[in-house]
This record gives sequence, C-alpha cells and structure tokens, in this order.
Amino acid sequence: MKFCVCIKQVPDVSAPIQVKDGTLTQDTDRMVLDAYSASAVEQALVMAEKHGGEVQVVLVGPEKARETIRKAIAMGAESGVHILLDDISGLDSGAYATILAAWFSNQEYDAILTGKQSQDTDAGLTGGMLAAKLGLPYSANAVGLEYDPASSAMIVRRQGDTGQEVIEVKTPCLVTCSNDMNDPRIPGLKGIMMSKKKQVDVVSLADLGLSRDSIGGGTSVSGYENLPAREPGKKLEGDAEDLASQLVNLLDNEAKVI
Amino acid sequence: MSLILTYIATSDGKIKRSSLEVLSHCREEAKKNGHTLAAVVLDTDPDSFTGTLEKYGASAIYTVKNPIFKNHLNTPVIEALAAVIDKVKPAVVAFASTEAVKDVMGALATRFDAPAVPDVASFKVTGDGLDALRPVMASKILAKTSGKGDMVFVSVRSGSYDATESPVSAELTSVPFDFDEGGLKNILKEVIKASGDKVDLNEARVVVAAGRGVKDDEGKKLVEELAALFNGAIGASRSVVETGMFDPSTQIGQTGKVVSPELYFAIGISGAIQHVAGMVNSKVIVAINKDEDAPIFQYSTYGLVGDLYKILPPLIEKLREARANA
Repeated sequence: MKFCVCIKQVPDVSAPIQVKDGTLTQDTDRMVLDAYSASAVEQALVMAEKHGGEVQVVLVGPEKARETIRKAIAMGAESGVHILLDDISGLDSGAYATILAAWFSNQEYDAILTGKQSQDTDAGLTGGMLAAKLGLPYSANAVGLEYDPASSAMIVRRQGDTGQEVIEVKTPCLVTCSNDMNDPRIPGLKGIMMSKKKQVDVVSLADLGLSRDSIGGGTSVSGYENLPAREPGKKLEGDAEDLASQLVNLLDNEAKVI
Repeated sequence: MSLILTYIATSDGKIKRSSLEVLSHCREEAKKNGHTLAAVVLDTDPDSFTGTLEKYGASAIYTVKNPIFKNHLNTPVIEALAAVIDKVKPAVVAFASTEAVKDVMGALATRFDAPAVPDVASFKVTGDGLDALRPVMASKILAKTSGKGDMVFVSVRSGSYDATESPVSAELTSVPFDFDEGGLKNILKEVIKASGDKVDLNEARVVVAAGRGVKDDEGKKLVEELAALFNGAIGASRSVVETGMFDPSTQIGQTGKVVSPELYFAIGISGAIQHVAGMVNSKVIVAINKDEDAPIFQYSTYGLVGDLYKILPPLIEKLREARANA
C-alpha cells in the first residue's frame, strides 16, 4: 500500500492577528503543520502500520516549509516530496490542485489523503479539485477512515449534515480528513533523528511542466478587513432567579426572539 | 441574458432554510444585474418543491428526479448538476455551504474549469464574476475575495441572508438523468443518525450549545429541555464532545459545524477561538458561565455570570411561560 498525504504549512492561527490598511500582520511569523494535514498523516500511518506499506508526504511551499515535511517524516512517513515554490502568495485552491495534479499524474499510489480544509483559509476545495483533475473517486470530510483489503476500498465515515455517512470508496481514491478522526502523534527523539536521513525529493514547477502564471484558479484576495464589531453585550448580575427573569425580559422585549 | 443558478438542497421533504436564504439573495443580485434567477433541485420528488421556489422568486426551475438523491453521495450530485450547468451555462452557481456541498463544489468547479469562492459571509455579482467576503484565519478576519470568469461558483454560510418571498411564475424544466449505479466507485453503505440529529444544526433558528461546564446527565437534560422549548438544535464544544457525552455530529466550531442562528445559547462554554469561529455570526448570543472572565462574554449579547445548574431550571420555567403567552 502506498498512501500519499498532501500536507500544508500554515501560519499559527492562534496567534493574534491585526489588519492594517487592508493587509494582515501577525505578532509572530511562526509556521506550523496544518492540523487537518497532521490528522491525515496520522491516519495514513495507522493504515500503513496495519496493512503494510508506506506513507509519503507531498508539500507545495517555500524553502522554509521543509521543516514541516521533516516534522511529518519524524511522525513516521517514509519519504517526502517538496514542490518548491518560493512565493506562494496569491495561490488559491485551484492553483494548489493544478500543481499537485501535475505531480500525481505520473505517480503510483493507492490513496491520496488531504486535510478537509486548511486552518488558514478554511476553503476546503483543494482535495475535491485534485480528485476531479486526476479522475479519482473521493469523499470529503472523513471523521473515520479505514482500509478494507477485501474490497480494495477505503471505508470512509464522513460527517454529513445530519448523521454520518459510511461510504466505500474504491482505490485508487482521494479522501479529505477532519482532525476529529484521531490525535496526531508527537514525534519522538528517535523519529526526529531518523527524519534527517530520509529522502526528500525537491521538485520545481518547471519539472512539472508548469509556470507560475499558468496555475491560477481564477480567484484573488485583494485585502482583509476586520469582522463587523459586535455591539458590546450586557452582563447581567443577580441570583439565579433574578438572572433568569432579566434574561427572559430582554429576549422577549429587546431582542424579540421569543 | 445571463443566469444565476441556485442549488436547492432538500431534507426530509423540505427545502433547507439556508438554500432559501441564498435563493433570496441571488434574486436581488439577479435584479441588479439584469440576470435571470434559476433554481435547480435534485430529489426523489423534486416537483413537490417548485411552488415554494416560485414563491421565493425563481423564474426558471430545473428539476432532476432520481431515487439516488434520497441520501447524499457526491458522484450523482456532481453528474446531475454538471448536466444542468452544461445546459444552462450560468454566470454564477450559488450554494448554501452545507456539509454535502463541501463534498461536491471543488470537483464540480474543476469540471468547468471555473473559479470557486467557498463559504462566504456575503457576495455581490459583478460584470466579470463576483466579489465576496470570506472569514479566514479561524474566522478572526475577513478576506476580500474575487472570482473572475464566465462562470463562477460560490457557497454561502447559513444565516448570512434573510429568506424573503417575491412570487413569480416559473418556467419548469425536467432534466433527464440516467445514472448507472453499477459503475459507481463510491458506494453509500450506511447513514448513522445520532440522537442529537433530530434538528439540523445548520437549519435551526435556535441552537443550545453545551461546553465543559455541562458535566453530567443532569446538565445534559437541562440543555435538551431548553432546546426542546424552542424546537432548537443541540450543539456542543469540541471538549465536551471528546468526553463522549455529546455526539460528534453536534460539534460546533472551526472543525465542526458553522452555525448562525437567530438565538444561540452558550451553556458552560468558555469561548476558545476554535469554538467562536463556528458561532460568532449568530444574531443573539446568550452566554452562561461561572467564570466572569471567560472569553465567551466578549461575544455575548447577554452574559449571565453564574452556575448553569442553578440558572437553567428557573430560566426554562420562565421561558416556557413567556412562550405560552407570546
């Protein structure tokens, strides 16, 4: 079995963010392995351990994203592919899907896993776009994922609008993963030491027959703004009975939602 | 004349409220831009919805009837929508951003080599595509995002627009759809419905969400009682889902579902950013928490500092009276 996991390096979304004159600044330039990618790596490792095989991680990003590949390898992935792109500004889901599709078009694999979205943009399109470009069956938003050797299929439990759907997806296929499916392992010292010896292939856009201006997905971000400010709320005080009366009165007469 | 095509999601014989919200907004955008407003509905019995769609202003309605639409599966939805889109060549294809839509939009946009702008808080149709505002970075800021092209896909967060009526009479077109189930490479085996799924979180006007402050069955019962009063949906923070007390389907947040009901009760929820990302656009937010410094109070319309176990029983009683008198 070969599981390929598309991973992404993202800014730490928990760090404070400011918007100034339409541009975005953060107090830290700390970059991390996207949490959904990490769950996809973890699940691939679990399946490879159970059924035999290897996990390869694939990342599109600048030189400094190499540390994120190393982290996934330290978790247990066998090898990495770094599609090197120094300037990732303005890349949309369509662009990532185009680059990844060019890479995977002459690769062999049983399943490609991606995060269901990434923590920075929450767009959640790249997986489905990549599957469509490669002509693969796929399922998005897996909260549970197993491989079934008898049917040569991935058994996906996806979170639907009401309830969870269990879907058998024949390999080769693509599945996008939620971070609800597992707790990604923290690499140990041994894994970190080993990761330095493992192979990371570096690939350029030119190697894939692509150029920077040919890959856009047709969307662009022209700037950022703050969320519309919420009106400052009311803090109610008193004992339980009193609080309940005040709230009912406000919901009824002020918010008019009763 | 160009066309704005709105995808109409149905569930249990009803059109989802979030789809009517998007349809209403698209109607206004169609008017401004001189476009026709069209709707497409895939269902086992799509003709039963055309009256409602006319009421909300769809002047062209495309129906695709097939038993496979009883439950969600991405391949037939993609194939059927692709057939309709191919036929009508819309300038904009708009969806409510549901879990089902997240399973089809990327692949569908790729099929038409069209830009896709997902999960927006608002959008405007322009001469060459659309301009939208999208929450990003854990919904802490909005990105001004444009999609440009002859055809652009967009999905809209529920609660972003009001569903408003504006009746017209529509031209109805039934689109034939022969689907070979035998050729499917993905097969729906089972749908697991949890007890908390009685009311769809994305559709509910009132959501009562539990956090770690809800510690036991007694607390859970109070949450359920409060939700039942409003025929509301039950939600939960990730940490309380992890205890096993609430079903994973109820999880609200950046990871779980994003909701924006008219009234949101945060019961014993501290308000971590990941949770706030999933509920901050609710119209009225009531927070009950023991800790007066809990971050949830930065977002609440009405903040009640105190013990939920003491506050909820009299609150439920008084709300019941108030609703009976309303």
